[in-house]
Amino acid sequence: MAEVVFDRASRIYTPGATPAVDGLSLTVDDGELVVLVGPSGSGKSTALRMLAGLEPIDAGHLRIDGRDVVDVPSKDRDIAMVFQSYALYPSKTVWDNMAFPLKMRGMDKAEQARRVNEAAEILGLTEYLDRKPKALSGGQRQRVAMGRAIVREPQVFLMDEPLSNLDAKMRVQTRAQIAGLQNRLDVTTVYVTHDQVEAMTMGDRVAVLRDGRLQQYATPSELYDHPVNAFVAGFIGSPAMNLLDLGRAGDGVRLGDVDVPLRREVRDSAGDASTVTIGVRPEDLSLSDGDGVKAVVDVVEELGSESYLYAHLADDEATTLVVRGPGRTRVRYGETIAVRVDPEAVHAFDSASGERLAS
Amino acid sequence: MRRAPLLPALVFTIIVTQIPFLLTIFYSLQSWNLVRPGSQQWVWFDNYVSVFQDSQFRGVALNTVIMTLGSVLIAVVLGLVLALLLNRHFVGRGVVRTLLVTPFLITPVAAALLWKTTLLDPTYGLVNFVLSPFGVGEEAWISDFPLASVMVALIWQWTPFMMLLLLAGLQSMPTDQIEAARMDGAGAWAIFRELTLPHLRRFIELGTVLGAIYLVNTFDAVYMITQGGPGTASANLPFYIYQRAFLGFDIGQSAAMGVVVVVMTIIVATFALRLVFRSFGAAEGSH
Repeated sequence: MAEVVFDRASRIYTPGATPAVDGLSLTVDDGELVVLVGPSGSGKSTALRMLAGLEPIDAGHLRIDGRDVVDVPSKDRDIAMVFQSYALYPSKTVWDNMAFPLKMRGMDKAEQARRVNEAAEILGLTEYLDRKPKALSGGQRQRVAMGRAIVREPQVFLMDEPLSNLDAKMRVQTRAQIAGLQNRLDVTTVYVTHDQVEAMTMGDRVAVLRDGRLQQYATPSELYDHPVNAFVAGFIGSPAMNLLDLGRAGDGVRLGDVDVPLRREVRDSAGDASTVTIGVRPEDLSLSDGDGVKAVVDVVEELGSESYLYAHLADDEATTLVVRGPGRTRVRYGETIAVRVDPEAVHAFDSASGERLAS
Repeated sequence: MRRAPLLPALVFTIIVTQIPFLLTIFYSLQSWNLVRPGSQQWVWFDNYVSVFQDSQFRGVALNTVIMTLGSVLIAVVLGLVLALLLNRHFVGRGVVRTLLVTPFLITPVAAALLWKTTLLDPTYGLVNFVLSPFGVGEEAWISDFPLASVMVALIWQWTPFMMLLLLAGLQSMPTDQIEAARMDGAGAWAIFRELTLPHLRRFIELGTVLGAIYLVNTFDAVYMITQGGPGTASANLPFYIYQRAFLGFDIGQSAAMGVVVVVMTIIVATFALRLVFRSFGAAEGSH
């Protein structure tokens, strides 16, 4: 059990170049599962490897349970990691893979056996203990990697995209298993993924990174409802939020041939900027019978319970929208639809900086 | 019919390998010494009987085993050490690697000559020169340790081959396994013993088999350095057969020895190759 604190921690691969991780400050509370999420190159894996002790910390501090670990080698940090490739030892059986960290620490044989058996039982690996990794399926290998981490009973779990090598169905199943296991063991966990669905479903809190910088660190619902900038707004949510650069008109902005009103605080903080970036989630757009902005449908994605309509404005080909429609929609490709915007659900961002207006 | 264009190659291969082998068997059943014209006559298996009764042949066979296995195993160990050293970053690694590979690129005859004259000569040799501060005088390495002298030249030539093979093996090792082991608390020695060696096993097996297949046929080093002497102290089977055939002109005896050696080599090589194919085949299955 421990709290993990990144205190302005940086990783600079080549002096003078942009840091891979730039002054990251972030506190993971005891027992919490925090997800680091971002596109590739955002520094999320580097941040995890810094915590793991596989990358040096070039500036700032990193504390685990109050202890500064900048100069502590990874084996003495009391952490365990699940690698994206699982990094199982191919010449060893499942049993020996899971017992390896215990053996390396000179734990007595009886205790090794107790812990390995217990972990194998939790993970449903008991009947595979004699097998070599190559004789296991992807999901089983993933569980062995988990087992090797939990036998250690470490203070912190680190997980580097542990689900990315699984097929879609297995991924959903394992996602729930990991979250359940983490709740049950109550061990502080830092989890890296590029998949925002994983981040939203698993994280107690989610840190969104971009170009080595922390964008926002909040609970999933907070990220969804109050993204601090246009990047987070576009990254979280699937399909992504519609982000439109719109010209000011009257008390709001003009979308096609309709006015979308903006709240007073938003107008004030936008000042006299001529355009504002408007963010509207697909579910906050609705189909109407008459009024609303006219758009031509390009693609219909039918998901059963709902559908997503990809459309462009009737009088502006370059402006595209994603609208959530009902399941079994009758709308077809090429049809013109009228879309109504819920003004209460509109997010507004500065067109130049992308920062949220009047948060 | 699709394979018909390959027929000339097949015919050629049969002509240059199988027909000489049949002729060798034919000669091995005869008593025929070239210096006594008219001595050619059928003796059937007498030559084989005398091959197995020949204590020199047994001594030479033992020399061959020592020379082949000893050289290969020592070359593997040295190659492994060098490969481990080369598998880390340091300034000038490319130059060092090239220098370490050069012995393998030298013509075996030239290498043998170099060892015989420049390095191991009792009076002018560099080895004695370097060792002279340690009280080594004009040691005649080649006459006192003939078999070891030949082996030193062979090991010097074959260590780079083993080094390259094992270096390729080391570089194919996934780094995340090593990172995982480091986080699991394994030290450098434990990582080497528990992960690196098992990973390198198939490369070591391959190097050993390839090296042994090549070195069992060594002729040039023996011929250049010791001529198999003193007596037959450093002779191996190819050299001994050469001596009996082209210095003693005993065609029947040497043909019989040749057949015996071919049969033994096929048996050993079959088992060794099967071992290698099995461990590479098993490893393929994991990816």
